[in-house]
Amino acid sequence: MVPIIELKNVSKFFGHGKERVTAVDSISLAVEPGEIVCLVGESGCGKSTTGRMAAGLLPVSAGQVLFDGKDIAQMNRDELQTYRRAVQIVHQDPYASLNPTQTIRDIITAPLLHHKKVKDRTHAEKRARELLEIVDLTPVHDFMDKYPHQLSGGQRQRVSVARALTVEPKFIVADEAVSMVDVSIRVSLLNMLSRLKNEFDVTFLFITHDLALAKYFAWQGRIVVMYLGRMVEEGPTPRLITDARHPYTQALLAAVPEADPELAQHKRQIELRGAEIPSLLHLPLGCTFHPRCPYIVEGQCDVHVPRLEAIREGGSVACPVRKDESIQLVV
Amino acid sequence: MSKSNLEWQQDSTQNQKPPLSLQNVYVNYGTRKGNVQAVRGVTLDLYAGESLALIGESGSGKTTLGLSIVRLLASTAKVEPGTIIYRRDQREVDVLKLSTSELRQFRWRDCAMVFQSALNAFNPVLRVWDQVLDTAQAHGWSDRTAVRERFLDLLKFVQLDPTRVINAYPHELSGGMRQRTLLAISLLLEPQILILDEPTTALDILTQRTIIGLLRRLKEEQHFTMIFISHDLAIAAELADRVATMYAGRIVEIGKTYDLFYQPRHPYTLGLIRAVPTVLGGFEELFSIPGSPPDLVNLPSGCKFHPRCSFATDKCKQQEPELEEVGERHFTACWHWQDVEKELELHPIRRGAAKHDALAQTTVEVR
Repeated sequence: MVPIIELKNVSKFFGHGKERVTAVDSISLAVEPGEIVCLVGESGCGKSTTGRMAAGLLPVSAGQVLFDGKDIAQMNRDELQTYRRAVQIVHQDPYASLNPTQTIRDIITAPLLHHKKVKDRTHAEKRARELLEIVDLTPVHDFMDKYPHQLSGGQRQRVSVARALTVEPKFIVADEAVSMVDVSIRVSLLNMLSRLKNEFDVTFLFITHDLALAKYFAWQGRIVVMYLGRMVEEGPTPRLITDARHPYTQALLAAVPEADPELAQHKRQIELRGAEIPSLLHLPLGCTFHPRCPYIVEGQCDVHVPRLEAIREGGSVACPVRKDESIQLVV
Repeated sequence: MSKSNLEWQQDSTQNQKPPLSLQNVYVNYGTRKGNVQAVRGVTLDLYAGESLALIGESGSGKTTLGLSIVRLLASTAKVEPGTIIYRRDQREVDVLKLSTSELRQFRWRDCAMVFQSALNAFNPVLRVWDQVLDTAQAHGWSDRTAVRERFLDLLKFVQLDPTRVINAYPHELSGGMRQRTLLAISLLLEPQILILDEPTTALDILTQRTIIGLLRRLKEEQHFTMIFISHDLAIAAELADRVATMYAGRIVEIGKTYDLFYQPRHPYTLGLIRAVPTVLGGFEELFSIPGSPPDLVNLPSGCKFHPRCSFATDKCKQQEPELEEVGERHFTACWHWQDVEKELELHPIRRGAAKHDALAQTTVEVR
């Protein structure tokens, strides 16, 4: 199958000369149609930048972004328009991403009319109602004439999703889409997104710093772990969660606070050699995790940049030292 | 990291009245839209050496309650009726009746609060050391060398490089370093009670773990009396001895951490637990709570949770339940807590560690 979105050795630099920051360093990632891929990592690891490049919102500094096998940099006008419609992004902050002076009706009908998805205003209105129903904003007539400030965070995020759906996208980048929503409502948002995947064949690139959410949302899919602009590990979610191999993934899994007292008590603590994350301006040589890694092999880790290597259990790991070693995280 | 040689004078935990007792505390905010009932009749004892977590969603009143204990509420807030009794060394005061100068002494020296946003808590144009000295002097501690020595020790305790941090401006520190510095400053005057509002929110995962590790040490080695305020159930699971669930300004359930997580009796607590995934607990089916949090100006009648509750009956629409004892030191405000108990017998909350073992087993077999 041709991947719907493929990143080939994509890099992103910001700034020049001494001030140059490598936000994303040569990432290759192919997302198959219907697949759920979750990008996780801490702030500054490049996950949002990667998502924005996949959505075409940010030009790449090096490498290629392919949509349906075609390089978006080589596309003509028509192809580019198809790509732009097929790929949508849902942002983190529903307070900032909706125009406060427009009603929900305006927000949803504008892209429908602009992209000529409907014949006229009457049809736009009808379609907008359908879309609000799909995202569970019911009864619909209660919402059509409201302004964003009259809605709760969760409801606004649903409007953002409905707006993304106006152009019948094939691929949605959800960048921390549920992080700002209260816990009791988060699950229903996630379940709604899963439903879209099944009913409308939408492929998701889900970006989050929350490993628990990633696990829940992408249980049938894949998790990709990033650290300082590089992919360090990737694999089917159940394998990555229960049998992580990269020392950074293991450290993350061990560090996440657990909403379960028993797990919290029985979790193994992994001591890192350094607490602070290195600056992107002065990245360590070799493996960027080596100054913090408890398993460092001097002369190897601080010299050679490790490559992602496939492992038998599924996925790949960028750590030649530890890629075949399982550890127990619950003891 | 070198270990610090700090000692705290924590009072013995035996035969002692609780250092903090809240009696029927109400907090209202006057707004243009009407009266916001943020806290509605909270009664709570905080025992010496215990850590209590207040959990609940945004708007549940947990931060307002925390702020009312140190009397730092906005001027539009009215705290009445109610009493907040604070006790230390045979002394007993009602915090709500303290004068401004008494309050200044009470805050920080008796009860310190660590705020949610670590950057905003610092003055950006002062070095860390200047702020520390200011604080110490405001509390009548003018011996510079003694202050400096103690603060350096505290910085070691929070695992920071003391000489680097003490001369730094706040913007030179990362989020986690700021949070730890703040923790060190809050401990400067040996408070008896520490209130931490969202201590790990907005920090990276590895930094969160460092903070949790520190707070655990405060709890286990120093037996600090602490209140954690968080929307994150994980903070309660990791750090608390007791947990109180707040909803619409009330404590709707309070009990020991294990009881609350595995034997909840309030439908809202149960709903929260079933809505939150763990990482290493295997695959879980999650359920969200229908509806949205209540409007605090126009609260629903009866039990404030009834519009979102699957156990609700007509009685819930008419009468608001009070906390009743449902187990050892376990209280719930629900007319139907027995139904929740029955529901849990049918669908128990499986313990995370057990689930993980089962999951690890199956993945091994698959191979």
